[in-house]
Amino acid sequence: MKKLLVVLAVLALAVPGALAQQATQQAATSTGWMGDYGDIKLNDQVAQKPQSGTTCMQFSYTAKKAQGQGWAGVYWQNPANNWGTKKGGFDLTGMNKVTFWARGEKGGEAIQKFMVGGITGTYADTANIEIGPIELTSTWKEYTINITGKDLSYISGGFGWVTTADLNPDGCTFYLDNIKYELDPTMKPETRKVESMPFSVYSDRSSLKNHYIPSGWMGDYGDIKYDQASKENPYLGDSCIKIIYNGKAAQGARWAGIYWQNPANNWGTQDGGFNLSKATKFTFWARGQKGGERIEEFKVGGIMGEYSDSDSATIGPVILNKTWTQYTIDLKGKDMSYISGGFCWATNIDNNPEGATFYLDEMRYE
Amino acid sequence: MVRSTKCEVRSAMRRAGRGILLAACGLFFMALLCGVSPLTKQKVFIKTLPGSRYQLMVGGRPYIVKGVCYNPVPIGKNHEYDWWSDPAKPWLVDGKLMKEMGINTVRFYQPGQNAEAVKKVIRDLYERFGIRTILGNWLGFWEYPCPFYADKSFQEKIKKEVLEMVGLYKDEPGLLMWILGNENNYSCLGLINKWSSEEIDKEPDPQRQKAMRANIYYSYVNEIAREIKKIDPHHPVALGNGELIGLEFAKEVSSDIDLIACIIYRGKTFGNLFNSLKFTFDKPVLISEFGADAYDAYLKKEDQNMQAFFLESQWRMIYQNLADYPQGAGNCIGGTMFEWTDEWWKHNEYDPAGWALHSEDAGWSNSSYYIDIRAPKNMNMNEEWFGLVALSKESEDGLNKRTLRKAYYVLREFWKKPVLNNKKKKKR
Repeated sequence: MKKLLVVLAVLALAVPGALAQQATQQAATSTGWMGDYGDIKLNDQVAQKPQSGTTCMQFSYTAKKAQGQGWAGVYWQNPANNWGTKKGGFDLTGMNKVTFWARGEKGGEAIQKFMVGGITGTYADTANIEIGPIELTSTWKEYTINITGKDLSYISGGFGWVTTADLNPDGCTFYLDNIKYELDPTMKPETRKVESMPFSVYSDRSSLKNHYIPSGWMGDYGDIKYDQASKENPYLGDSCIKIIYNGKAAQGARWAGIYWQNPANNWGTQDGGFNLSKATKFTFWARGQKGGERIEEFKVGGIMGEYSDSDSATIGPVILNKTWTQYTIDLKGKDMSYISGGFCWATNIDNNPEGATFYLDEMRYE
Repeated sequence: MVRSTKCEVRSAMRRAGRGILLAACGLFFMALLCGVSPLTKQKVFIKTLPGSRYQLMVGGRPYIVKGVCYNPVPIGKNHEYDWWSDPAKPWLVDGKLMKEMGINTVRFYQPGQNAEAVKKVIRDLYERFGIRTILGNWLGFWEYPCPFYADKSFQEKIKKEVLEMVGLYKDEPGLLMWILGNENNYSCLGLINKWSSEEIDKEPDPQRQKAMRANIYYSYVNEIAREIKKIDPHHPVALGNGELIGLEFAKEVSSDIDLIACIIYRGKTFGNLFNSLKFTFDKPVLISEFGADAYDAYLKKEDQNMQAFFLESQWRMIYQNLADYPQGAGNCIGGTMFEWTDEWWKHNEYDPAGWALHSEDAGWSNSSYYIDIRAPKNMNMNEEWFGLVALSKESEDGLNKRTLRKAYYVLREFWKKPVLNNKKKKKR
């Protein structure tokens, strides 16, 4: 990548609206559309109430799960359709924030995250920064992604958003304008804030308080069915998590489990944990469909890698009751200053030869 | 004094002054003339400092365990080979290299069958190179079909074996401490070598079952520790333990244990281990097995840089938690890294043909060693490549030729001048 070209590119991106315009061109060729891409519609020439200039972008998300994913999003890529398979990113060194304006059609639309970088693959982005979830207002509001101190030497995913059907069961329409990289001399590197308690991993399907993504499917992942919007007698609220483990050893591992991660699929490869130092315990409610289902381990923390969790704590094996029962993982004396694996369960065939169906609800750090 | 590091000599000179040092030299030569060995047995104990900080004391002086696990099985042999009786005496070649590196301790998981040969090794290492010995016992962990820790006759058999070991070697001047077990605690969870009893089987709650097994096991280890101290009050007794798992039970029933010997494979860090131990079972800790392999399972080639990177980082954390480092937990007394030489038999111990091949197949997965975690199925841990010293089929003095890996030199320099604050150091 030649520096001269990069400088020119950065200058172009720095012009208000330039990135949005580039994105428009890419989106028109379906670049970077993810998940239920069939649920997304883009109108990049909306003249009604742009934040500035004459047009802005309108995204409509129907939440109909056209591809059966339950989520959707769009990445602004360079070049088009570059999922880390080819060179093409920009060296954005020198920039330290990304700003953009957003508003919802009605207000209350929930975007799970806005992101910068994070494209993996052979030519992976050198940074992955996310903010969210964000509840949009009906009027324009400016948002900032602090990228100070991040390695921006190769960014092919210039900007992106993701949302889910659970957060927006009836879909949503929202607008974006003036997405740009900037240099702000007053901007300081973001320090990891100490999260206040309680800190939810799961409260309800559409709760903005939920943290971590149940992305870390392990072992016989083909044996698992996961529904985080089950209406089957939730402990509290309108939904709970239902997990069906069929114990068929689809991948031959004879065990299976799920890690709730931040960001999604972070196996210690990214700097993405939360500081939960104030937590003294993790509590959750669980029940088995029949009672007697055996879960080998419930765990918080414990993801190891380049960015290892600062500690871990477990309970188990646990034999579930048919009625809702609260379980507690004691965190006293633990270093919870960096936790990217917010919660985990694992079980196996040996102790559940017929499989196991169980439910989880109200999972949180306190 | 058999051997002193430069630092220790400087320290002694500051304290005692040149005159006293000369007097000491005089006494040393007088002792030689009188036929009295200067290598008399020195009491080894753990000193408790304010704030639950601990120091290992040897002969009245603080001692940092700069150790390595030592099992020099030659190419083509497996773990059953009696290297203790090897006429080529590998420990003489290795001991010299260890001393030059700065190693002051070796750990043996269990002594060989020939007691005289074992004594010879311990003495040679100590008298020639100043290297002290940690002796361990598996506590029957590999007995077929499983270690019956709830069975009295099994308990007595193993206890007798351990006490015989203590009786045989307790008077060796080079002996540093005893380690009981290795990762035997995992059997209490049923993860490996699962054992049970009628009473445990009657218990429906698996968590309670785990607690019952742990109580039996740790009580038993404590009983052995108590018996050891009756016949050998001069050496600490360590509880070997995989990670910190189960120590909340040990706390209740293992008061006669002097320290914990932890087996930890967490990549470049030990995480919150030191502070966590204080909270769980406030005892000093020796990291008795840790390390990194030198084979990149993803790129399929030897990677000495990778091994050196992890080992230096691990040793840095050990030093950051020694008693004299104020910012750390202060409960670590050192470590014995895994291991001195590669062992070519380890990938498949049941395949004699494979003992003469340096297997490039990984045996397990550990994401903490993230550099080669993209290997197929994330299998990145190459059991035959953990040596600080590589072996080759070429023979030298009747032994497989030794080639020092980068980690050898990196740690040698680290021990000369430990750099504990390396925040600016480039990440690998």
